[in-house]
Amino acid sequence: MASSGSNSHVLTYEGCNFLRQRLVLATLSNRPVKIKKIRSKDANPGVQDFEASFIRLLDRITNGSRIEVNETGTTVYYQPGLLHGGKIEHDCNEQRAIGYYLEALICLAPFTKEPLHATLRGVTNDQVDVSVDYLKATCLPLLQQFGLIANLDLKITKRGAAPEGGGEVIFTCPNPRKLRPVKITDFGKIKRIRGWAFATRVSPQTANRIVESARGVLNRCLTDIYIYTDHRKGQQGGKSPGFGLTLVAETTTGVMLGSEAVSRPKGADGDPTVPEDLGRGASKLLLEEIYRGGCVDSVNQSIALLFMALGDQDVSKAVLGPLTPYTIQFLRHLQDFFKVMFKIETLKADDDTELCTGADKIQLTCIGVGYTNLSKKTS
Amino acid sequence: MSEFEAASQKPHRARQHGRKQEKKKAKTTQDENLSAKQRNPKAFTAQSAVRMARQYRRAQDVKTKKQHIPYVDRTPLEPPPIVVGIVGPPKVGKSTLMQCLIKNFTKQKLSNVQGPVTIVSGKKRRLTLFECGNDISSMIDIAKVADLVLLLIDASFGFEMEIFEFLNICQVHGFPKIMGVLTHLDHFKNNKQLRNTKKRLKHRFWTDVYPGAKLFYLSGMVYGEYQKTEIHNLGRFISVMKFRQLQWRTTHPYVLADRMEDLTGPEDVRQNPKCDRTVALYGFLRGAHMRANSSVHIPGCGDFVVQDVSMLHDPCPLPDKEKKRALNQKERLIYAPFSGVGGIVYDKDAVYIDLGGSHHHQKEPEQITPGSTHELVSSIIDTKHTIDTKMAASEVSIFRGSVPVTSTQVESSASGPQEEMVTDETTGRTRRRAVFEEEEEGGENSSEEERDDEEDEDGMTQVDPEVSFRTPGDGHASKKRKVTGQEKDGYTFADSDDDLEVDWDILHPPGKTPVPKMTATSKTVKTTEEEDNTDKDDDSEDDDGDEEMDVAMETTKEKNPSTQLGRDSLRTKNAPRETTTEVDVPKTMANLKQDEGSAGIVEQKAKKVDSKAEKSDSEMNSNMSDSSGGEDVDEDAGSELDDDDDDGDSDDEVDEEEDDDEDEEEDSSIEEYGDEEEKDERITPDETSAVLPLETEGALKWKENLSQKATDAFLRRQADTPNLRKLVYGRVAEDQSSDEEDDELGGLFKRTTKKSEGRRGGPNDLDCAKFPITTGEAREFEEIYDLIKDCFVTGDWGTQDAKRQLEEDEALYGDFEDLETGETHTAQTEEKEEEGGEDQKDNQEDQNSGETTSVDKTAQEKLLEKKRKLKELFNAEYDNEEGGESYYDSLKQELEQQAQMNRAEFEDMDAETRAQYEGYRPGMYVRLEVPGMPCEFVTNFDASYPVIVGALMSGEDSVGYVQMRLKKHRWHKRILKTRDPLIFSVGWRRFQSVPLYSIQDHNMRNRLLKYTPEHLHCSTTIWGPITPQGTGILCVQSVGDRSSDFRIATTGVVVELDKSVNIVKKLKLTGYPLKIYKNTAFIKDMFNSILEVAKFEGATVRTVSGIRGTIKKAIKAPEGAFRATFEDKIKLSDIVFVRTWCPVQVPRLYNPLTTLLLAEKDKWSGMKTVGQLKFERSIRNNPSQDSLYKPVERKPQRFRPLRVPVKLQQHLPFKTKPKQNPAKPVKVMDRPVVIMEPHERKVAALMKALRSVHKDKKAQEKQKVKERYQNYRKLLEKETAKREAREKQSKKKVYSMMTQMETKRKKKQGLSHDVPKMGKFE
Repeated sequence: MASSGSNSHVLTYEGCNFLRQRLVLATLSNRPVKIKKIRSKDANPGVQDFEASFIRLLDRITNGSRIEVNETGTTVYYQPGLLHGGKIEHDCNEQRAIGYYLEALICLAPFTKEPLHATLRGVTNDQVDVSVDYLKATCLPLLQQFGLIANLDLKITKRGAAPEGGGEVIFTCPNPRKLRPVKITDFGKIKRIRGWAFATRVSPQTANRIVESARGVLNRCLTDIYIYTDHRKGQQGGKSPGFGLTLVAETTTGVMLGSEAVSRPKGADGDPTVPEDLGRGASKLLLEEIYRGGCVDSVNQSIALLFMALGDQDVSKAVLGPLTPYTIQFLRHLQDFFKVMFKIETLKADDDTELCTGADKIQLTCIGVGYTNLSKKTS
Repeated sequence: MSEFEAASQKPHRARQHGRKQEKKKAKTTQDENLSAKQRNPKAFTAQSAVRMARQYRRAQDVKTKKQHIPYVDRTPLEPPPIVVGIVGPPKVGKSTLMQCLIKNFTKQKLSNVQGPVTIVSGKKRRLTLFECGNDISSMIDIAKVADLVLLLIDASFGFEMEIFEFLNICQVHGFPKIMGVLTHLDHFKNNKQLRNTKKRLKHRFWTDVYPGAKLFYLSGMVYGEYQKTEIHNLGRFISVMKFRQLQWRTTHPYVLADRMEDLTGPEDVRQNPKCDRTVALYGFLRGAHMRANSSVHIPGCGDFVVQDVSMLHDPCPLPDKEKKRALNQKERLIYAPFSGVGGIVYDKDAVYIDLGGSHHHQKEPEQITPGSTHELVSSIIDTKHTIDTKMAASEVSIFRGSVPVTSTQVESSASGPQEEMVTDETTGRTRRRAVFEEEEEGGENSSEEERDDEEDEDGMTQVDPEVSFRTPGDGHASKKRKVTGQEKDGYTFADSDDDLEVDWDILHPPGKTPVPKMTATSKTVKTTEEEDNTDKDDDSEDDDGDEEMDVAMETTKEKNPSTQLGRDSLRTKNAPRETTTEVDVPKTMANLKQDEGSAGIVEQKAKKVDSKAEKSDSEMNSNMSDSSGGEDVDEDAGSELDDDDDDGDSDDEVDEEEDDDEDEEEDSSIEEYGDEEEKDERITPDETSAVLPLETEGALKWKENLSQKATDAFLRRQADTPNLRKLVYGRVAEDQSSDEEDDELGGLFKRTTKKSEGRRGGPNDLDCAKFPITTGEAREFEEIYDLIKDCFVTGDWGTQDAKRQLEEDEALYGDFEDLETGETHTAQTEEKEEEGGEDQKDNQEDQNSGETTSVDKTAQEKLLEKKRKLKELFNAEYDNEEGGESYYDSLKQELEQQAQMNRAEFEDMDAETRAQYEGYRPGMYVRLEVPGMPCEFVTNFDASYPVIVGALMSGEDSVGYVQMRLKKHRWHKRILKTRDPLIFSVGWRRFQSVPLYSIQDHNMRNRLLKYTPEHLHCSTTIWGPITPQGTGILCVQSVGDRSSDFRIATTGVVVELDKSVNIVKKLKLTGYPLKIYKNTAFIKDMFNSILEVAKFEGATVRTVSGIRGTIKKAIKAPEGAFRATFEDKIKLSDIVFVRTWCPVQVPRLYNPLTTLLLAEKDKWSGMKTVGQLKFERSIRNNPSQDSLYKPVERKPQRFRPLRVPVKLQQHLPFKTKPKQNPAKPVKVMDRPVVIMEPHERKVAALMKALRSVHKDKKAQEKQKVKERYQNYRKLLEKETAKREAREKQSKKKVYSMMTQMETKRKKKQGLSHDVPKMGKFE
């Protein structure tokens, strides 16, 4: 049989780190991947529940994929099928927030057979992962630049804080045949800051306290600041108490930079979080994010790079802040799976202008692989 | 006075005669004749709104029709040669045409053309001519790659099937340009017949191509060639032709191979003639950018992964860009290795080098660009001493401050290796292994894939450092030990990889070098080195000369297989690449503490410097990611692990030695860092190749003033941002190891190392995209805000500042007056100068000529800039004149900009780096090394069949269900049957598969069809290679036969790809009533078990008579029977059935056509259809008796009488109502017989007699009356006749009297009347 060609180059990796990247890229590139030694020396070896849940999610949106996990769970072999998409529902494991799953889903969504309409249930905000508010505020505008415009939405129907979750989001994404090459190089100037302070199963006053403190910090930079409060009660508020703040700075060219802070989950070690500290912390993080700068948020770097690499066979450019380790690894994986190498240049600020715009920016340039949506049906 | 003047002025007199008057007259008269509308059409344009709308719509239609979907122009600056396919039925003159074209362009006569021939046809155009054979496989392949097709038609015969078949193939696979060429026109003796034929053929051709398609006429032969002028014209047409981009080809890179080399070792072939071959294919890259290690498909052969892509010197370059009218003789190049042009002739078992007397040979020196290769060779030639003596003389200090070691010293501690031939069973490749006496009993390694390496390593690792090159995890990656002499004042290998060798040389004592026995001549060695160098060199100066040499060597090798060295060196061209991968291995090992590998420890040591470099990388990484881990720890771990890895279990001793060494090194790590760091920074992407030798040099001289360097580097590092490219992609990027993908192990290890330095880098760390800023807490708000204050709209806008822009504008556009304020702004003096007079400038120039030139220049530039801006402004305004630009225009502009960006982005990079980023560009001459080719490809190689290497995009190398829309070709004789195997041509591939035809019902159900519809599209599903949607499909039933029928069975397009299918066919289950109640019945024999029934509960059933019902529930006995309810009582004789849909499996047959592997390439035969098999074996099915046709017997129909229901009758009118008691006829026979009495009888007899008398009397009377009446009639007639006669007589009298009276009266009146009137009256 002819599948020999694809079977011959199985990519092998070790460790559970970057599992999502590897599985997502394997799915997109249709190359089988084998991940060995997953926590093999750990007290609790093998894939954990949240990873298993992720693998299940992957199985749900693909058709014909084969996943083999060995007995101890330390080795995963994944032979991808075709992305199917459509209407799916998934109960995400509470160990990780929905953001963990959603990030991967965003990478896959534009290439499905049917437009994706995913309902994810679980923890919407926690301290480890990217929250859904954050993705909604920063990632969706980014996706629009690649031509994913109609029906792109992330709706938070229920909120659920860690550890018990109970939140629900609905993510819809169109599936064009090809992605547009982009040129995201103009940062512009930050013109406004928006925020969303949420509070679930705690006093509604908490959100207002967060807003107050965050404004106290940010008002010194800019006047156009508005922070929405989102207090959820009853069924909509999930199962655990929690509160948090997501801030987004928008520039004149539509670049979104964000930051967030979430309260310490119930039952965790340490003192309970004070809303004022949280507000200040988030605002400071926003300033740090602005310091890092770039036209793509540090969390979304990998998504932007992925879609640049999967674009048409044209040059795409993006200016980013310092690369995160996750992104660096992602670049290497992109080279493994798609043989795409990015041209990486450091942009130096002009000497004569001497503007204070934070860290040195990095310009990444690549030629897309001309990836087309192979699963979508044509008439 | 004025009055006088006025009087004196003559009044104007209009001209009465002459030219002017005539003109004027003509004008006025014309005006008179025309209608107002004709005279002034513009005034009447808007008379009807409807008409206006229609006109507008039509105008828009016409405009839109002209528009094509704009695309990004990706044609390279130096495009590849245009593929001209010469196609036609046999004996039509293809070869002759090809020869003539070649002769026309190159003035050379090529007698025996085989394979593609590349020629330079003009200043900007090259052509690759290819003669397509007559089998359908070649035709399909050529249609996929040809840019222009010369379709030869034998005019004396007319069109042949091949022509139309080929046209249809072209239509499916993107329509290339097609030019018809009519030959054999000299067969026509009659001129008129010739003309008619031409016309007929032309019009038929036009219907299939497009109206107005070019058709050439080659009128006749002169001395076996076509007429020169005609060929010349044809050539000119080809030279100026423009081409459209075809969808498939712009997205898929491909190579039409014009040269093939078998790289497999002759020894392997000798031992196992059927072993898989490694083949190098050469050709111009076309289509899109090709990335290294892409998987490819070779039509007629199969799927492969290209192991190595390297660009070679263009064998047929375009002339220099000088302004000339025509090419000179030297520039008319021709390149056709298969045909023996270009220096080398390939035969089945030998290679001949053509030293020919043609000018071709002379150009070679020009082609060799003066580069390192050349210098290297010359340096080798110039060498006075042998390597051994040099080695002996050289000394090396391994560590700082240590005593330099000479080769003799090391010699004492180690004994030299001996050569041994090893043949790898798996790959069938021979290697030369160096065996050390002490370590014959080497340890064993666990991993099987590295088994062949292990022996080497065991041999080498213990005592003496020795370089071994290995590719981790690759079964047939070549492995080689390289021995090179290195002397400081001697030649150096200008390559980074060589620093390994150098290091090794340093470490290795001279004299004891494991130099393989030089069985080959010294010349061979030189060549080898040269070869290595060429490959390593980023410029890759592989020119004809080199190749010739290589080949020459290969031939010698083949003649005496015992001399392996040359061949080996040739074969393992990859060695340098492998080493580069190797470099990465150590760092990766750092993470995987437990991992066992089998790399030579010694090479570890040899590469100390490199690993240091990596460490510096990692340091940068850690800087970036703000890790707290100290470098020392990392390094320790790293080095230890390296060792662990590399020696496996066997060499513990050495381990420790190594560790010591490492520690020592680490002490001086700072200095080394500096050194390496410096180098790292020197390596910018643009100058990799240039820098690499420096690195080598550095490795040698790293001892020199280290501390100074370290401080320098440290400072620089502080100032600069880290070299990100290196940080991300590591060493690989620098050295372009194309092998990295092949062995994932290497790739993997490298990667994980990087992470280990990062915060969350460990292989089992938390997987999270978020990267919290640890410094965030440390920094205060004000501190951060000061750094970013210009990011906000409130900050400084820099050059975008409105105020600053205004100033600049002023400078640019000069002075103006603000009308509101009345202020007058003046431009700066510089501007004034330039706009002002020339005088000033002249003066200035006089004063100080030196300075002014520069000023002048800048001024001029500014002027130019200004002009350009103005022009742009004007253009923008001019284009937007009509209500802004349309969507189409803006889209076009956008794509144009994108194209420009694509071109400009990597323009100024060196070729090798560029290839890493964007892949190999179309237009390059590349060499593709393809391992694992079947041996038949080589043994049955025939250059006259096209060898296409078509790259596959990601995902296209897998197999799945392909759904397509097909239509039987209208010229194909028969419809096609489901499950009959069919040969598909999709994308690059040709394969056999088993299709299922289906059609979609209205409820989206895919229903299986037994046969393709006659004239309708149907959906078809096969198990086959994933190919993008919208790709054209062509099917033939067989490629072997050449029947007279039209061979193309169907054409279509790919619609959908999936990993599962849902095609169903109808299945009716029948059952019989068991027992019938009123509306309920028990049905048996439909199912076999209760379970089955349970599955169908609620399903609709129906009887043959049409009574509908539902399955209710299973009953206990008999098994499978069930209760069903019906809308009416059914009969026991009814058959009950349920309609079900049964999913159909698509047979998983995907059988690529392996035509290129056959000795007779057009005799491929795969799976046969059932019909074919039956026909061949003359099997006939016994038909079911029920299916046979019998004569139909029909009984006469008898209808029952009509019964009107009583209720209806009541409502009917009386007339139509059937009567209650209709009068029944009296039956006479029913009356009783009367028996009369004698008396009565007498009376009756009397009465009868009387009656008969009476009757008789009556009859007589009647007779009498009749007679009387007749008599009377006669009398009456007589009377009438008499009377008539009498009347006639009297009438006669009266008329005559009247006449007389009349005449008398007329006579009386005749005195006054004319005679004619009288006559008239008469």
